[in-house]
Amino acid sequence: MNTNSAQGLQISTPTDTTIVLTRTFNAPRRLVWEAMFTPDKMRRWMLPPPGWTIVTCECDARVGGTLSVAWKSDEANPAMTLRGEFTEVALLEYAVHTEVMALGSGQTIGSLLERHEFADKGSFTAMNITQTYASKEDRDGALASGMDQGMEACYQKLEALLA
Amino acid sequence: MVLDRSPRLDLVFHALAHPARRAIIRQLSGGERNLSELAAPLKMTFPAATKHVRVLEHAKLVRRRVAGRQHFCRLEAAPLKEATLWTESFRQHWEARFTALDSLLDEMKSEEQAPSRRT
Repeated sequence: MNTNSAQGLQISTPTDTTIVLTRTFNAPRRLVWEAMFTPDKMRRWMLPPPGWTIVTCECDARVGGTLSVAWKSDEANPAMTLRGEFTEVALLEYAVHTEVMALGSGQTIGSLLERHEFADKGSFTAMNITQTYASKEDRDGALASGMDQGMEACYQKLEALLA
Repeated sequence: MVLDRSPRLDLVFHALAHPARRAIIRQLSGGERNLSELAAPLKMTFPAATKHVRVLEHAKLVRRRVAGRQHFCRLEAAPLKEATLWTESFRQHWEARFTALDSLLDEMKSEEQAPSRRT
């Protein structure tokens, strides 16, 4: 098997409360780490839903460091925040942080623990993201999120897939 | 979202949560089979296999047709589509993020290779 090549996104659910995402990137580990945890870089890939913009993005990937992202909607009031704290960090190896999503009103809409692991695959980097949710219901809810967006596109893809 | 609370989808996921039932679905993707054909490769008793088929029927993943003493089963794709669709948007969301990350990383690499062009 050729390990020195890009591998598409793999999603698995090894337990009732986890989701594991695996993907390789054509870049050294150092750059993938920088892209994942540097605020001005994060803004580039944390694609907000249509009609939303990122207004705050802070990230300090050190043990005890915090993560803070806020979005606002074009329409009137609604805002959404993501706050977390790094609990385990080994530079360029792995980072674990908590994550709490809340509405502008302060109402919490979800929380999870996210573990990122990085490994060299030749000149590529493999990244593993393990999301651990509080319950199976929360995990399933996360898997179903975005259901109403891109529904039509999904259907078209599926029509072709399952025809 | 209406699909968050879907008893029908609960049945589908319950039905899919057993290797024997997934094996039956795989067999049926090749076309209609009778119950003995389905039971044979599962290495289980006929009643046990029938029980699994019944779970699949209940989830409307399989439809059974009786012809004489033969029970023929065939796959109903629609609930399966819905189950796949359910996780497809999560995948698309992350695919989009990682595709953006790919282009960002390409940029970062070329910036490193040509530092003089940075302003």
